[in-house]
Amino acid sequence: MISKAAAPKRPEQVFFDDPAIDRLMGIVMSLASEHYVLRDRVQALEEQLTNARLIDAAALAKAPSPEQEAQYRAAADDFARTLLEPLLGQQQSLGAAGRFSLRRSRT
Amino acid sequence: MTTERAFNAGQRFLLAAKGFWTTTLYAQVRSEFDTITHGKDVSTVAAVADVLEELPIYKYFAWLERHLQRMKYSGRYGLARFYDEHRESLLERLSTVSADDPLLELNPELPLPKYYTDVDIHQHPGGVWSDDIAGLVYEHGARSTTPLLGAAHADLHTRFTDVVAEGGTPASILDMGCGFGKSTRPFITKFANARIEAVDLSEPCLRTAAQFAREMGSNNVRFRQRDAGNVGFPDKSFDLVTSTMFLHEIPPGPLDSVFAEAFRVLEPGGRMVHLDFYYFPDAFARFMHYGHGRRNNEPYMQPLAELDLPKVLRDHGFTDIEIAPFAESPGAQSSQAWRFPWTVISARKPRHAK
Repeated sequence: MISKAAAPKRPEQVFFDDPAIDRLMGIVMSLASEHYVLRDRVQALEEQLTNARLIDAAALAKAPSPEQEAQYRAAADDFARTLLEPLLGQQQSLGAAGRFSLRRSRT
Repeated sequence: MTTERAFNAGQRFLLAAKGFWTTTLYAQVRSEFDTITHGKDVSTVAAVADVLEELPIYKYFAWLERHLQRMKYSGRYGLARFYDEHRESLLERLSTVSADDPLLELNPELPLPKYYTDVDIHQHPGGVWSDDIAGLVYEHGARSTTPLLGAAHADLHTRFTDVVAEGGTPASILDMGCGFGKSTRPFITKFANARIEAVDLSEPCLRTAAQFAREMGSNNVRFRQRDAGNVGFPDKSFDLVTSTMFLHEIPPGPLDSVFAEAFRVLEPGGRMVHLDFYYFPDAFARFMHYGHGRRNNEPYMQPLAELDLPKVLRDHGFTDIEIAPFAESPGAQSSQAWRFPWTVISARKPRHAK
């Protein structure tokens, strides 16, 4: 059977006032999908390791000790800061600031 | 290479997201709409659009409807990629039914209508016709068409054949637009003594249908590559012409030919019974359906919904025209979740007709 010729590229449908949100949603959902697939794989690994008596599932499910908790908390803080810091809109290195446009350029 | 486990997990995630969309998100859209429009006239699609298209919740609803389907087919764990990676073994499976098998009649010369090839229906890349494994991809995709039904999706088809059986037991059946044979299978089982002909335009789908029929041990059916608007059977050769989720896939002009052909091949007194989408309780449901057609690459859904079907069928000579809502599962019609506007469309060729 002869395959259909490659279709010409068309712009995707738009649902939000700013199409950037449409595309951002696409990234978020792709990441969510990857996250779930990884979670599923970790679960499979845990099941196999538990069945082979290489890990203790009960220990894995247990709440961390106070020392571990403090350590994990610091790591969680670091993770949250890295994730959300861009919301502050602050430069990390000195340079031109604010919105950029060349619409009024004279050359 | 995508592992089967990762593919299953990716699809499971999408199905779960679709489940949330079908229930929680849809209910929220409806609830916000009802609150805003309380006491107002929203009896037209345009009036519904004026309200809904401004709501953020609707924008997310619409986005997810479009893109969960895109991801199902074209995403990292989509059907297109996974099936392509397993192409060789899939083709081997299909090869057990040869081109000259009694279950199958192919016509490589059959011209495919432009309306059919111009749109990748259901967002299936390349459509359901252009790739040898498209029938198997479609079959997998259709398992989650109605996310709330899950594995019970097949029951929908069985319930439809039950409705058909209430009108009598057919001896010769034509199933139009049979696809990969999902609609035909319950007819094969329910009416085991009937002669069944099933037609579709797609060679890959017909090959898949024949393969499944072979695995079922069926010997009362033949899948033929023919256009439903020109099926090529003699006049008066069936006492039942049926289709499932087919009419909305055809634009009005060719649909007229389908009805004309159904009338021609029916015996006088014979019945035509279709399961499709036509009955809308309100303008909100109609608005949702039109949007679904656009988002799911099904551009002929809206034209069918807007057609004066009783008049069209009368003009073709049919009588006893009945258009009735259909419950795809027990209690479905009182569900608060999103659902298709399932409708049984039936008519009869008069006994005195030529």
